[in-house]
Amino acid sequence: MSDEALILRNGQLAQEDAPELLDTDLMIEKGRLKAVGPKLPAVEGVAEIDCTGRIFLPGLFDVHVHLREPGREDKETIATGSEAAINGGVTGIVAMPNCTPAIDSGGMVQSVLDIASREARIPVLTTGCITKGRLGQELANIGGMHARGAVMITDDGDPVGNHQILRRAMEYAREFDLIVASHCEVKELSGVGAMNEGEVSYRLGIPGIPAESEEICISRDIRLAHLTGAHVHIQHVTSGEGMRIIERFKEDGIKVTCEVSPHHLIFNETHIEDYDTHYKMNPPLRTAEDNAILLDGLKRGVFDVIATDHAPHTDFEKQLDFASAPFGITGLETALPSLYQHFIKPGHFGWDLLVKRYAAEPRRLLGLDLVEFKEDAPVNLTLFNPERETHFTEDFMRSKSRNTPFLDKQVQGHVEMVILGDQILLDRISRSS
Amino acid sequence: MEPRKDLLDIASLTLEEIEFVLKTAGPFKELFTKSIKKVPPLRGKTVLTLFYEPSTRTRSSFEIAAKRVSADVTNFAVSSSSVVKGESILDTIDTLQAMKCDYVVVRHGAAGVPNMIAKHTKASVLNAGDGFHAHPTQALLDAFTLRETFGSLTGKKILIVGDILHSRVARSVGRICEKLGMQVGVLGPGSLIPKSRPSFMRMFHSFEDALDWKPDTVYLLRVQLERQKDQFFPSLNEYHNVYGLTDERFRRLESEGTWVMHPGPVNRGVELGDAVMNYERTLINQQVENGIAVRMAALYWLKPQTT
Repeated sequence: MSDEALILRNGQLAQEDAPELLDTDLMIEKGRLKAVGPKLPAVEGVAEIDCTGRIFLPGLFDVHVHLREPGREDKETIATGSEAAINGGVTGIVAMPNCTPAIDSGGMVQSVLDIASREARIPVLTTGCITKGRLGQELANIGGMHARGAVMITDDGDPVGNHQILRRAMEYAREFDLIVASHCEVKELSGVGAMNEGEVSYRLGIPGIPAESEEICISRDIRLAHLTGAHVHIQHVTSGEGMRIIERFKEDGIKVTCEVSPHHLIFNETHIEDYDTHYKMNPPLRTAEDNAILLDGLKRGVFDVIATDHAPHTDFEKQLDFASAPFGITGLETALPSLYQHFIKPGHFGWDLLVKRYAAEPRRLLGLDLVEFKEDAPVNLTLFNPERETHFTEDFMRSKSRNTPFLDKQVQGHVEMVILGDQILLDRISRSS
Repeated sequence: MEPRKDLLDIASLTLEEIEFVLKTAGPFKELFTKSIKKVPPLRGKTVLTLFYEPSTRTRSSFEIAAKRVSADVTNFAVSSSSVVKGESILDTIDTLQAMKCDYVVVRHGAAGVPNMIAKHTKASVLNAGDGFHAHPTQALLDAFTLRETFGSLTGKKILIVGDILHSRVARSVGRICEKLGMQVGVLGPGSLIPKSRPSFMRMFHSFEDALDWKPDTVYLLRVQLERQKDQFFPSLNEYHNVYGLTDERFRRLESEGTWVMHPGPVNRGVELGDAVMNYERTLINQQVENGIAVRMAALYWLKPQTT
């Protein structure tokens, strides 16, 4: 947009820890908020947009995203993945290191960040591996990756199977204040499983993954964090019992944080009926009871952050039979509207929770500056229209992949504008009135 | 009764549909005693068998059944590795569509593949076994065999013995027996009995306890030899001693007049000993014969949308 000023009129500002939305106008100039408050005076020559009924949100932040570059650019690239984020109102993302080759050295971290700085319109941060090649055997170049800007280490997609190696990694990472992020799973218990083990998996004849596979590993990882003093971050928690384990250790004051994904809140194993691979991810969808426990945990503050585990895969791969198709679904574009439709609109939680868990806490977790709505603060804004539907067609989506259960579905709510600094990254707002 | 395009599992069938297939299979079976065993209902129709897993018996049974209802039969050879080579099942379905087959008989090592094919083709799909999921024609032929043996099945007891966890036969046979009013007992190594099995499956903890329940028929599942390799049980010998129809157990069955069934092929010395094969109340060969009649009935019943 440049240096031109703009007034966004009559929106409602959502803030963490503020249950009520705040009626306000925003005046933007040169990438900063020039004025914030109701009934701002009109300024000669400054364009205005009527935002009546719209919600002003800080740009969202997702700490768990697979960008597939380098190695699987047919699924996603840093450029397309970051555009998908913008399309969903997300203005900062953290890439997982399970690329080909894996991001397990300072050089790889640097190269991802270099591509991001050229090709992404939002900040793209990256994690690095815990072990070389994510093979779980030798420590990766942790200090080197930290020096180049890796914000967490993780072998995401796989746990570190060897307890001793994980212990060493935690002790080593602790000195760099690096968070160790854990994909929790006991591989031997998961075996060839492709969905939650239970009545549904038996009926469908699909090998199951018991919740214990995840829960045992959650317990192990937190205990090792306690032993070593490292900060462990438990990724994509799916089981009620897994969540209770984390909650108990948190009460004991152990440095553990955790995340929940929209799909584990919204969907469960029964959605897999008819072998729809858009409901296949790891860890898997559990039961309706788990949905309820996770939602309750999110409301009570057990989950520090919401993260999507955006995992693009090609149509060809997702059209394989259920057992052979890869794990994972995309999430960046659908997270905000789907959370609105399923939880905010029916009143399960408010906008304050969404802002806290999907914008503020993710930035706090990584020690980044928070988005503020006050005079002179840099602009980082997502404008959401709760009245307008989003139809997740192939044309609408900007990810290279379409492997989402929301494909071709209508969801209530629409991301209409995203502004970051002096750039309008997305603009679908109607100016007719 | 609504016309049905595909036969994918037992769970989704209505009792009326099951009864229709069983009733229709009767007259087809009577043909087998005649010198001309063929009838014309599927004249001009094409049946294609698509087996991703090797099987001689089931495939031959379908082939004979299709020929006896006057359909033209083609076997489409596919190697399971074609997926690995980059050919998806959907690519194969496009090929089938182009060939204008009316019926596709599918066997695949992965659950849900017949469902996927059914969704994308106008031909009728008959599931001939998919992974651990379902084997509906096996269940129908077993139900037919049980009806022949017992008449009404209400209240009759069937004991299914073996690998309940991985068996598509156990799933489909268990389900059809339950639908037809039978009591279903299961017995097998603890590692092969799923914790979350359907509630109608009553679990026994020893063969002797299970026989005390006085089942009308004992249904022995085939032991897949790779299960032992994967440590589900310690050895085939131990399996036979604990969960097999040993000579001692056989003598008890014989004295109580209990019937014996097995979907074949039999591992002698594992699920059962030699003596059982010659037992007059062994239904194994009848199961094979009835398989053809029931598959004729299934082909006759389904309505492809190929016009």
